[in-house]
Amino acid sequence: MSDLTYVGKNIPKVDAKEKVTGQAIYAGDLQFPDTLFGKIVRCWEHAHAKVTHLDLSEAAKVPGVVKVLGPKDVTQKLYNCGVLDLLASEEVGHMLGEIEDQRIFTDYVRHQGDAICGIIAETQEIAEAAAAKVIVKYEPLPVYLQPEESAKPDAIQFDARKPGNKAFQLPEQMFPNNVYGWGDVDAEMAKAELIIENTFQLPKVKQCQIEPHAYVALFDQRGRLSIWTSTQMPKLVQNKLARLFEMPLSKLNLIPTTIGGGFGGKLGMIFEPETCAMALAVPGRHVKVQSLREEDWVASESRHPGKYWLKIGFLKDGTPVAADALFTADTGAYFTHATGVPFTTGAWLIGMYKYGAVRYKTNAYYTNKAPSGAFRGYGNPQTNFVLEQTVDQACRQLGIDPVEWRKRWHKQVGDDGWCLGIPYASSSLTECLERGAAKIGWAEKRAKYANQSGPKRRGVGVSVMNHTSGAMPMLLEHTVAKVKMNEDGSAVINVACSDVGAGSHTALTQIAAETLGIPMEDIYIDNNMDSAGFDVGSHASRTAYVGGGAVMKACEDVNRQLIERASTRLGIPVDQLEIKNRQVVSKDGKASMSVKEICNVGVSNYINPANGERNGVPGQIQGYASHFPSHNSPPFGACFAEVEIDIETGQTKVVEMVIAHDIGRAIHPPSVHGQLAGGAQQALGMTLTEEIRYDEKGLIQNNSFFDYKLFGPLDMPKLTTILVENPDPGAPYGLKSVGEAGTVNPVGAVANAVSHALGIMFTEAPITPERILKAVNERGIK
Amino acid sequence: MKTRSITLCVNGRDYTFEVPHNRTLLQALRDDLKLTDTKYGCGSGECGGCTVLINGKDNINSCLTLAAEMEGKHITTVGGLTKNGQLHPIQQAFVELGAIQCGFCTPGMVMKTASLLAHNPNPSEDDIRRGLEGNICRCTGYENIIRAVQKASQMINASATQCAGGACS
Ligand code: FES
Ligand code: FES
Repeated sequence: MSDLTYVGKNIPKVDAKEKVTGQAIYAGDLQFPDTLFGKIVRCWEHAHAKVTHLDLSEAAKVPGVVKVLGPKDVTQKLYNCGVLDLLASEEVGHMLGEIEDQRIFTDYVRHQGDAICGIIAETQEIAEAAAAKVIVKYEPLPVYLQPEESAKPDAIQFDARKPGNKAFQLPEQMFPNNVYGWGDVDAEMAKAELIIENTFQLPKVKQCQIEPHAYVALFDQRGRLSIWTSTQMPKLVQNKLARLFEMPLSKLNLIPTTIGGGFGGKLGMIFEPETCAMALAVPGRHVKVQSLREEDWVASESRHPGKYWLKIGFLKDGTPVAADALFTADTGAYFTHATGVPFTTGAWLIGMYKYGAVRYKTNAYYTNKAPSGAFRGYGNPQTNFVLEQTVDQACRQLGIDPVEWRKRWHKQVGDDGWCLGIPYASSSLTECLERGAAKIGWAEKRAKYANQSGPKRRGVGVSVMNHTSGAMPMLLEHTVAKVKMNEDGSAVINVACSDVGAGSHTALTQIAAETLGIPMEDIYIDNNMDSAGFDVGSHASRTAYVGGGAVMKACEDVNRQLIERASTRLGIPVDQLEIKNRQVVSKDGKASMSVKEICNVGVSNYINPANGERNGVPGQIQGYASHFPSHNSPPFGACFAEVEIDIETGQTKVVEMVIAHDIGRAIHPPSVHGQLAGGAQQALGMTLTEEIRYDEKGLIQNNSFFDYKLFGPLDMPKLTTILVENPDPGAPYGLKSVGEAGTVNPVGAVANAVSHALGIMFTEAPITPERILKAVNERGIK
Repeated sequence: MKTRSITLCVNGRDYTFEVPHNRTLLQALRDDLKLTDTKYGCGSGECGGCTVLINGKDNINSCLTLAAEMEGKHITTVGGLTKNGQLHPIQQAFVELGAIQCGFCTPGMVMKTASLLAHNPNPSEDDIRRGLEGNICRCTGYENIIRAVQKASQMINASATQCAGGACS
């Protein structure tokens, strides 16, 4: 096995003890003296309306109300709460056009939950009571819940800059004919001997992090605006807020708190703008905003729903000659991520198989639903539902085993990944497929469930996926890491990388311990944003990969300095020295200096008055790296699922699942297993139970955990996770990502298992009991 | 809103304070007593994040319980399980088995586990899954939580650790 000491070890996570004792401080737990409470007043009764009259006077009279803020009392600047504009070059930015369309408080309601005004009061109860006294009159407008409706020529235009309510298509300058892909699709498709063509309907699914959004902000006498937030992206949100409120970054003090789950739900700004606007209105006092669970569904982003048309042509031997796709994305009420997700939804399609030619197009439209945004997987779960079912349908008709087809046609080392021009440097997907198939008993179960009768039907399905580790080259990838060596030889790593719960601070500590050769207990990850350099934040499964790369380089910088100093003291050339067991030792083993001593004399450095000599090389050792990765080391994975469906009730029970993941190297194996298992819970929800439902007025019908069904402990299948470890040559310690991967391939595997059980392919997710019963009845299955 | 003075025994300590009649136990713990180890996840009994232990055995959703009704009962929160900085075996098992990701559901999960094991020291996997139903975790897929509960039950049975709830003087 490996000769690594800390990397790959099954050790408790660095933050587990504070979390298990309740000592970890989340934003809602913060207590400050003299705190005021902010309430964001939302429109609950309309999804599309003009505010014709807003009267805050009665609310302002409630005793204990300190201030009421309408749309005109806060900055009029427009913003996009997403962050992609900070991650793209100016050139790309121009192609995207105007993407800032949100306001802190609005007089034009574009979805239920749009913020109308704010109340600041001495207690939460008073703020709530005053909110009830706000008088708003609306002029209701026609409500558009689907792109087909908002795209109609006579529909009300949400934004004059986006005619036809079309927020985005792939820009011509970068994607000729608005197409992403390669080859001549029409010519290749003409050769097809079998064509599978379907339009799939994808649901609007919520991140449902268990911590509801909460913040504290303070505008102090020095003119600094402080915001305590559990954002996934501290540096980018700091940048966004500084721009919105026109302040230098040095005056925008962002203090990250423990993150109670993110999954994309805390990517970019959420309610930070409203909270900061309130704090700016009451200088010198902390303002706390604790949002409610039921607010989350209406006011914050979700996964992009939409229609996904996919046509793949095959030869009889299974060769996929051409793929043609169009994703019509519903971006919801605001632009938010209308560029990113519609692009990547095609990128995952492109990264998967060796089609003869492929053409992906996408159009994103506004509707009167809550905005769509980032949700773990970023378009990949959607693609998985569509692509993997299409492949299985072809395999069924061609009489080819779905596992064998995938082994034959998945992309390999040297093929381009999701970004054309960036080839895979490693791939263990074939091994994932083989080990997963063996574990679940693929061949036996496929045969056994081929012909069934009776009320309970079993099926087994497979699905594969590709993803990414960081978003280069499409988006900026950059992390700064600083390592300060204390005088006792312990280390503090200062980074802006956040830990959404996935274990990234543990992985970064392991990487530092391994590279420095000092125990994990002697290393602390410091997240102070004033001192930390830039980092993109937690998205695109990047923190262990890019943050880990930065930490590794900064630690190597420390090692270089240690060796140089030892070389000076010992009079031994640097190439004859190495670091072992906290000692700098000569390779012949004859001379050594302890790391602690070097660090100590660097700090406590004296001149001997007798001879004028120093007791060592002066200067505290600090390592530094400003790291831009040169690759995105995409991971692959294979998932197998077995389901049992009761055709009398329509209930689907996921009996067993096996996920084999191409991890490169698992830095912290329990976290990798945990990401896969947790991702599966979210993927199963999207496939079988989760969907935000709207009534015809555009009001959400199920904004509670009671009505929006998440998988609970009894619903989860027996789960085996297999880590296939073949280190990636370009990655720190060979690691590839896992953060988002778990939410992807269980989607296709379960859908394929359902069709194996029933012989019916479902083009609409989630595959609910109602949909199953309807399909079973229509086909007369008994 | 009318108020009344109540005494709550939390983690072995008595607190006497004034609350409105409609104050929930969760609000009383978090806002009045500043004991923020119990979490607000939904406020309507659907997530289990606010689970606390009553009289060392029963679990309740503190967001659905009126503070005034808890007079005379011993309430244990996750912070109260830790004695002199020593983790309780349930906490130890959660740490060791990687049952914690974001940690927001963890206080509720740990207290639900404490109640489950107080009623059934040797639960089967199915008992555990059933017992934890009502507590939502969005991070872990429950897998490592279930392993942690199994391990905690073994640890408690082996060490004869007493029930989780502390008695007030
Ligand atoms: S906060 Fe009490 S059950 Fe969710
Ligand atoms: S660990 Fe995050 S919700 Fe359970």
